[in-house]
Formats: sequence, structure tokens, C-alpha cells
Amino acid sequence: MMLALLRKEMLALIRDPHALAALFVMPAVFIVIMSLALKNMYAPPVNQLDYSFDVREHTPLAQRFVQNWEATHGTARPLNPDWQAALSQGELAYVLVLESGLSEAFVTPQPPSHAVVRLLTEPGLSQSALRTLQAETAGVVGELRAAALTASLGLMAGDDLSIRPFMASEVAGKVAVKPNAVQQNVPAWLAFGMFFVVTAISSLFIQEQRDGTLARLVSMGVPARQLILAKALPYLAINGIQAILMLAVGVMLMPLLGGDALSLAGIHWPALIGMLASLSIAAIGFALLIACLARTHAQANTLGPMLNILMAALGGIMVPTFVMPAAMQQLAAWSPMNWGLEGLLTVLVRHGDMADVAPWAIRLVMFGSVTLLLASILFMRRIKP
Amino acid sequence: MLDIAGLRYSYPGAAHAALGPVSFSVQRGQILGLLGPNGAGKSTLVAHLAGLLPIQQGDIRIEGQPLKAYRRLDPTRIAVAPQDYAFYPMLSVRENLECFAGVNRLKATAARDATTRALGIAQLESHADVRGERLSGGLKRRLNLAIALLARPELIVLDEPTVGVDAQSRSFLLDTIKRLATEGAAVIYTTHYLEEIEAIADQVAILHRGKLLRLGPLSSLLAEGASHLTVGFAQAPAPDLLDHLQAFGTARLTDKTLRLQRLPDVSPVAALTAIEACGTPILEIHAGRYTLEQLFMQLTDDSAETAP
Repeated sequence: MMLALLRKEMLALIRDPHALAALFVMPAVFIVIMSLALKNMYAPPVNQLDYSFDVREHTPLAQRFVQNWEATHGTARPLNPDWQAALSQGELAYVLVLESGLSEAFVTPQPPSHAVVRLLTEPGLSQSALRTLQAETAGVVGELRAAALTASLGLMAGDDLSIRPFMASEVAGKVAVKPNAVQQNVPAWLAFGMFFVVTAISSLFIQEQRDGTLARLVSMGVPARQLILAKALPYLAINGIQAILMLAVGVMLMPLLGGDALSLAGIHWPALIGMLASLSIAAIGFALLIACLARTHAQANTLGPMLNILMAALGGIMVPTFVMPAAMQQLAAWSPMNWGLEGLLTVLVRHGDMADVAPWAIRLVMFGSVTLLLASILFMRRIKP
Repeated sequence: MLDIAGLRYSYPGAAHAALGPVSFSVQRGQILGLLGPNGAGKSTLVAHLAGLLPIQQGDIRIEGQPLKAYRRLDPTRIAVAPQDYAFYPMLSVRENLECFAGVNRLKATAARDATTRALGIAQLESHADVRGERLSGGLKRRLNLAIALLARPELIVLDEPTVGVDAQSRSFLLDTIKRLATEGAAVIYTTHYLEEIEAIADQVAILHRGKLLRLGPLSSLLAEGASHLTVGFAQAPAPDLLDHLQAFGTARLTDKTLRLQRLPDVSPVAALTAIEACGTPILEIHAGRYTLEQLFMQLTDDSAETAP
């Protein structure tokens, strides 16, 4: 009996092009589009931006500033007379103005009365790129001022006063992967796609009620728990296929399209499988609850996707939580999709193990259990007079 | 085979019972035609037999066993073909039959055999690989029936199985149902189409507003009309006509129609002579056996008039 019911569910799904598109095509397309669109958000290419210098003091110190900068940012474009218009229209990303009096200001112990190095940027420059340029400008100013001061005091005549050897940037924990847009978007849209089983499950369930097929199955003596199980089990497999497909998109397709590649090297596979199973339980429980709540296709097709999109917007699927304000981040922690995303990021980016993903997995399983219980109660009421 | 005794059911919050109390029996090889207008209680009765409604009052027994116990033992011995197309439109005819054969707990080989047999009974072999959604109305009805016949049920309940089908498919379905009864199944057949009942039913039960108005062999129900005389006038006769007819039997006048149930010793000719004497021109006269439609209309009219 169970095999017949499972086969029926699978055949019904395979022949539903809308459900297949929602389950497989939509998340894959989102991964591709969003990864390419957000590529620069994770690694702003400040060394590839078009820029110019406006050097108003032709001293060795100013010349050295330009040399130091060009060494890491490429050659500056010549400064055209209409550079301010070019900057405001985004044709130039930034212009560094070295004001006259720069050398004198650098050797004077007191701070200058006005800035001698000014960074002018185009209006559309991202905040992360701006902050990077500001930090790099400050670094060069610091190095050159130190060199100028020590030379003026006759303490040291050497050229190498770089501050870089004094600092290092290290990542705590087991991180072996450089975070990038693909690393964020694959788990994000995978979680989103898995929750979209709601459309397929509710579509067939409502049709079964409308056509009297459900009543027929009940009159044939099929127990309610078997009917629910037959609806849930195929979608565990479907969610598994979704996961394989989305990971493959990240690993194989994205590099071909010019994006970063998803790296699975060194991840804890049992933790990944555990997270995916937990996410699947939550998604199926949620889908069954919506299917039992809705009485018409219109209701299911509105309620399910709408709640999914809300959970996604809130949970950091569409916009990463780290760019959200603190209050929104707290709100995000209530979204099951956020639990799934954080758990997957823990495995894929932080290389976490079972213990690391347990908090997320437990929340998802509990959410799945509660929604499944509520769905079962509604289902029993639905099939009984 | 099937014994229903004092079955009564009220939907939660309803002022009146949707069904009952009703009592009747159906034997193996018999077709019981269940007639009634919308809201008569037919679907409520069918839902009880399908195990979809609990028994609130009364008893249903099959082969002497309570319905619940009988269904628990083997739910496939009772098959219900609902009024809806209760199958999967995205599956082919064969896939639907195999699915429901599996649901009927038939093992792989038995399920295949049952599918082949059901395809044959419903003459759906040439459509076996066509999806349910692409079948015509008549073929959909056949598939709906074929699913019910997969497990060789002993009691078959058919809820308006010919709605929306063409004359050929209807004839085929009726022949199939008669054959099932001939092979020993007990059949309950609900319909709005009186001519179908006349064509296949051995017993007729007429339900109205949940009450069983008549139950019996079709021939004896139709013979009830033997003592009735129905006269249609060109205009409404004088009301004192009923006083003149008291000596001939029980008369009832509805607008321009007079119905007289003659006393045993009163001949139709004598009664007619007395009616004619009232002077109102007569347009039509019907005496003798009812047609099923006449019986049905009279019973449901009477019931409506006496309803609270």
C-alpha cells in the first residue's frame, strides 16, 4: 500500500511542470543571478577601479605617494580638465587630491589645519569599497608621514617605513574558505528552494480533496498516518536531489559563468547531511501544515509562497544578515530559513561539525515536528466528518 | 448481505436529521435503486457505507457483522464509486488502476491481474496509457467504476455513476452493473435518472428529506397505481366535487388535478362517471400502474405537503 502511495506522489510531482520549476529551476537560477550580482559585495575590487590623481604639489614626497599608491592600485588615469564631471557621472571611481603644503604638513608635529590628502569618490561607490579606500589612504599617509618625520629629525634615513609588517589579519576558528557570494548564495537559495515543496505538496493534497480521491483512499481503509507519511517521504528524496543539484551549480556551473566556485573541500559531510535532513523535515512539516490549512489552490498558492518569501526576506536569504541592522538581525533569528542558512554556512564556510550545527538542526527538527503535529491534527479533522 | 436498521444521522448544528431513521436490506445479486431529490439523504447514506461517517444511531450490518468490524476485517469488500472523478488526472488509466490496486493491498502480480481484469470490465484496454485528464466524460466514468471493481467487492455502492455521460457510455455502464449483480455482488445504485432505475433495479428505495418513503420491488411499487385514478381538468373544478366523491374513495384535489384512491369495490368506470357529472371538462385520465416518475412525483409531492 505504501509503495503505491509513494509511487503516485512521485509520478504526480514529475508530471507537474510548475512544481518542478519551483523546486529545481527557481533556486538554481537565483543562485546564478544573485551570486553574480553580489560578487563584488564580498570582495570589492578596489585595485581595479578607474582613478586619477590631482597633484597640486610637485615634491618628492607627493611623488612617492603616487608611486606607492600606483604600486597596489594600478596606474592612475591622466586627470582630464572635466574630471569632476567624470567623477559625478561614475566614469571615474575616485580621485586622490594631494594638496599643496602636503610635505610641510607631513613634517610638522602638529596636525594640519586642513586635510592635505583628499579622497573624492563617485556617488555610487559601495560603502565597503569606500571604507577600503579610506583605510588604504590612511595607511599610505601614515607611512609617508612617519618617513618624513624621522628623516626631518635625522633619526633614520631608510625608505622602508611600511606599517604592514606590524600587523596581521587572521580568521579565528577552522575557516578554510574565503567567504564569497557563491558560498553565501548556494546555502541561502538551497534553503529557500527546499521550503518550496509547499507548492507541490499542497497542490496535490487540495486536488485529492476536491476530486474526492482522498475520501476514496480513506474509504479503502488507508490509515491517516500512512497518508501523511506517503506525502512526506517522497519530499525527503526531492529535497536531497535539490541539495545535490544546487551544490553542483555552485561547484561546477558558477566558475564557468565567471563567478566564484563553491568549495566543498574539507567540509564535514555528516554535518552537511544532518543539516540538510533537518532542513528537509522543517520544510516538509511546514508544507503539510499549509496544505492542511488551505482549502483551495488559490489559498495554497498564495499562502505558501508568501510565507516562504517572508521567511526568506527575514532570514537573510535575500539580503545577508550581516548587512542588516542589529534589530533586524534579532528578528532574523526567528526565521526557520535563517536556522537552515546559518547551519549550512557553519558547515560550508566555517567547516563546522555535528556539534557546531546541532543548535540549528535541533531548532529545525523541532519546528518540523510541531508543524507536522499540527498538520496531522488538521488532516485527521479534514478526513473525518 | 446488507442490513440497515434504524439508521439516523444529523450533521452538527443542523436542525433536522439529514437521514433517517431508515431501514432496509440488500441481498447478493440484487440491485437496489436509491432515488431521491437533492438533499434526500442519499449521499449521507453512501458516506456511511464508505466508512466516512460514524454511526450516530441505528445499525449497519454486513453478513451479520457490524459495518465497522466488517470494514476492519477487509475494507476492500465494500467498494464505493463516488460521484466525483475520484482518481489522479495526471496518471494514466493503468497507473491509476495499479495505484488503487496497491492501496487495496494487492501484491504485485495480483495488482497487475486486477488491473488487467478491471481494464477489461470497463473496456478501457485501448486507453490504458492515456492520462486520466485526457479521457472523455464517459471514459472517466468507466475508470471511476473500474477502480471500484479492482478488489472484487461484495457490496458495490455507486453514487450517480452516469452523470454527464453520453447514451452509449450510459448503456455500457448499466450493462456492466447488471452483470456485476448477476455475478453475485450486491449493488446500491443512486441516481436522479428514473429510467436507469427502471432499467436495472430489482428493488427501489425512495428517499425524501432523509425519510424512506417507499421500499420494495419495482413491480409492486408501480402496481400501487392500480387503485389510483388521476384526472386532469381543463379548469379548476368546484370544491364540492370532493364531497361527491367520498363514497368512491379518498380524493385529493390540487389545482386542476384530482387524485382518487378507489375503494376496492369501486370500478374505475363508476368513479369516472361521478367525476364527469361535476361538469368540468376533463383533459386527461390516468388509471392503472404508475410509471416510476409518477410514483416518485406523487410521493415527493405528498411528503412536501405533509412536511412540518
